[in-house]
Amino acid sequence: MEMQKPIPVIQPWTKEFWKATKQGKLLVQHCKDCNANIFFPKKVCPKCWSENLTWIESSGKAVVYTYTAMLDMVEPKFMGDLPYVIAMVDLEEGIRMTTRIVNCNQDDIKIGMNVEVVFEEVSPECSLPVFQPADESLRLASPDQGDDTAVAAEPEKGMSPENYQTILYEIGGICGGECTITLNRPDKYNAINRQMAAELIDAFRRVRNEPSIGVVVLAGAGGKAFCTGGDLEIFPSLAEHQNSLNWLSHEGLDVQRAITSCEKVVICKINGHCLAGGLEIALACDLIYARESAKMGTTEINMGILPGWGGTARLPRSMPIFRAREIIFSGRKDYTAKEMYDMGLLTRVFKDEDFESEFEKVVKNIAAKKPIALRMGKEVMARSADGCDMETALAVERNGIQWLTYSPDIQAVMDQFRASPDKLTQQQKQQNIRSDVKK
Amino acid sequence: MEKQRLAIIGTGEVPTGTYPDRSQWDIIYETCISAVRDAGIDKNDVEAVITVAPQAQPQLTAEISFGKIPEELGLKGCKDSCICNAGGASTSNCLRLAEQLIESGQAKFVLIPHVTVHSTIPLPDLINFFAKAGIDLQWEYPYGTTYNGVIAMMTRRYMHESGTTEEEMASVVVSLRKWATLDPNSIFYGKEVPTIEKVLSSGMVSSPLHKRECNVLADGGAAMVVTSAEIAKQMGCPAAVKLGESTRYFSAFTTTRSTEDVKNGFLQGTNDALNAAGLTKEDIDIWNMYLAYPVGHPMFMETIGLCEPGQAGKMFMEGHTWPGGKLPWATIGDAIGRGHTGSGVSMATYVETARQLMGKADAKQVADVNYIFQNTSGGSGMNFIATVWGRNI
Ligand SMILES: [Zn+2]
Repeated sequence: MEMQKPIPVIQPWTKEFWKATKQGKLLVQHCKDCNANIFFPKKVCPKCWSENLTWIESSGKAVVYTYTAMLDMVEPKFMGDLPYVIAMVDLEEGIRMTTRIVNCNQDDIKIGMNVEVVFEEVSPECSLPVFQPADESLRLASPDQGDDTAVAAEPEKGMSPENYQTILYEIGGICGGECTITLNRPDKYNAINRQMAAELIDAFRRVRNEPSIGVVVLAGAGGKAFCTGGDLEIFPSLAEHQNSLNWLSHEGLDVQRAITSCEKVVICKINGHCLAGGLEIALACDLIYARESAKMGTTEINMGILPGWGGTARLPRSMPIFRAREIIFSGRKDYTAKEMYDMGLLTRVFKDEDFESEFEKVVKNIAAKKPIALRMGKEVMARSADGCDMETALAVERNGIQWLTYSPDIQAVMDQFRASPDKLTQQQKQQNIRSDVKK
Repeated sequence: MEKQRLAIIGTGEVPTGTYPDRSQWDIIYETCISAVRDAGIDKNDVEAVITVAPQAQPQLTAEISFGKIPEELGLKGCKDSCICNAGGASTSNCLRLAEQLIESGQAKFVLIPHVTVHSTIPLPDLINFFAKAGIDLQWEYPYGTTYNGVIAMMTRRYMHESGTTEEEMASVVVSLRKWATLDPNSIFYGKEVPTIEKVLSSGMVSSPLHKRECNVLADGGAAMVVTSAEIAKQMGCPAAVKLGESTRYFSAFTTTRSTEDVKNGFLQGTNDALNAAGLTKEDIDIWNMYLAYPVGHPMFMETIGLCEPGQAGKMFMEGHTWPGGKLPWATIGDAIGRGHTGSGVSMATYVETARQLMGKADAKQVADVNYIFQNTSGGSGMNFIATVWGRNI
């Protein structure tokens, strides 16, 4: 269990009901005198006041009467569940229950849909009866098959670029060899909410399966900001210790890992404000280009905390440490891109008016390289930069390059070289020239 | 001798919204003093104070329950003080208690205050309060149900059964906000009225409910002075007189509530209240409805036969319920338009009913108002209190 959820407040006469849930049984209270089926269960029959009550086992089959997808404004203890579906279902036994619909894509749920009971444990004393589609083809997975670790490596089930709500995912665009992921909540300065975190994780995992793509551009929509960090809407939920820890270790760490473990070269495009968690996401990228007027900083210390999405780890590793400390301790949000560059952070800063065209040139050039080489380069340099000893770093490099050389891509080129060395030398020269800035 | 009728002769109200410097007691002072002055009586003429129970404010509730208001205001003639709680329906019960005191000769003038200050309650506590109010702790709450959630489920079912579209539901909000923008005591006073598109483009909270179809919590308060219609007549002051009333109880929880029972209750309760007043629905000039969320409005309208079944959404969309329309409807804009002040929206609705009949409704004033239908409801819709009001002729 990830956090304390409210458990049903059990009455003496409902103990039997909850005990049965532990055995996977759904009971319905029944009056032996007037034959009424009773819900919510009562101490006496609400129809005839008889105390001659018993329990019958429900078939567990029900029909959806109504439902809602809960998306926002729930208590902190339920925020980790968002989005979830609450429903009222009519049981065959003639009673109506409030419950959740599980194992089903929200879009597939309809009023009148047939559902059947399954149980979700909430405490050692009781499990909550919840309902899944009766039609097996509508189920996402049966609950006993749920292997979280296996699923975690794959893109989120039911999530896809067509239904992303907070980001855009676009293959091609500048030169066809790259994928652009755009943080797309411009009216919120592209602040990160739970949905965006989940979608970013999904998107960076998804792009790994695009073999022809070597470069991912991470950008912010709207021009006002790249990203200003965690959305304020998250904050009430962080009042709970577990929720706060999960925001850092689930969403936070997973977003960073999704970027760093994505084998593509991730190029961050900073336009406007890049603050707090927004800067930390940028730091997880491989290259950072900023518009001259962009403003940057980490403001967490102003709230009495510290950057928690990798800021204290990556800033000192990305620039001289005495400068990194100033950024974190000062809480300034008005460092200009130029200032940051002078302090040793950032790949490059371009003048506002040239930014788009200069950035495009950079992407075009890198995206033209072989994805296989970019991938190997990212990994080799990451291991080396993590601080292994020199001999290990050289070994990783040597073996990496040897592997590349004998990869089918490069061997095809070698075949050409063997056939007509001059022609290939000429080609190579052309490509070298193309990669230079001054042509 | 004919039964004494209850008359509202004075009202006081503060703007709804968040004003950090305005305490709960600021509001009580301001609203009570202006209601007493509006009634044209002396403070010492107030013989009882019956307060609408504030929700989610236990300290204030305790203070008022134990008699702080008459002392604070120096009401030397006060003989009785209590608090009355039926959630959002509380004000109706305060009025009925006052009616008894007046009827039995124990009080001539009764003061009925209400105050809610949500803004000083920590957000998690507020969410927690509204997650549990009218929601069963054993059979609903553990699933992560909220107030918005249960209303969203009712809304989806209603749309399914009536064929009402998303746009028509959003047009209820548009109609409510058209009134609210005219109301100096609304949180949306003077604000641009959102279009249907704008309502629908606000974030989804609990499908099919969008953010702008949910209530904004706010601080507010109001007070009324009531007496008998006879005394009001002797005083020669404008008054709103209660002509008929009828109540129905449904259920504490939405899971256990049948839509059929609710519809029957709406219809019979409304007819009973109209019959008691000797009127028919055609006589009503304003339908001053307090239903808290959009869904109740079209449901009520078609249930009591103010339009053909399934056509209520169109009534809102076509503007019949707007200022100047043929069916003036919820003229403070219900909780959606006013801002949600806990149990205060029912108070604000009575104040509005009184002001319309007294001719004091300013920009919202509907021309030639003789009769107003008003309802209240508590909890998550546990009951329905129908009242009919007229002028003191
Ligand atoms: Zn019975």
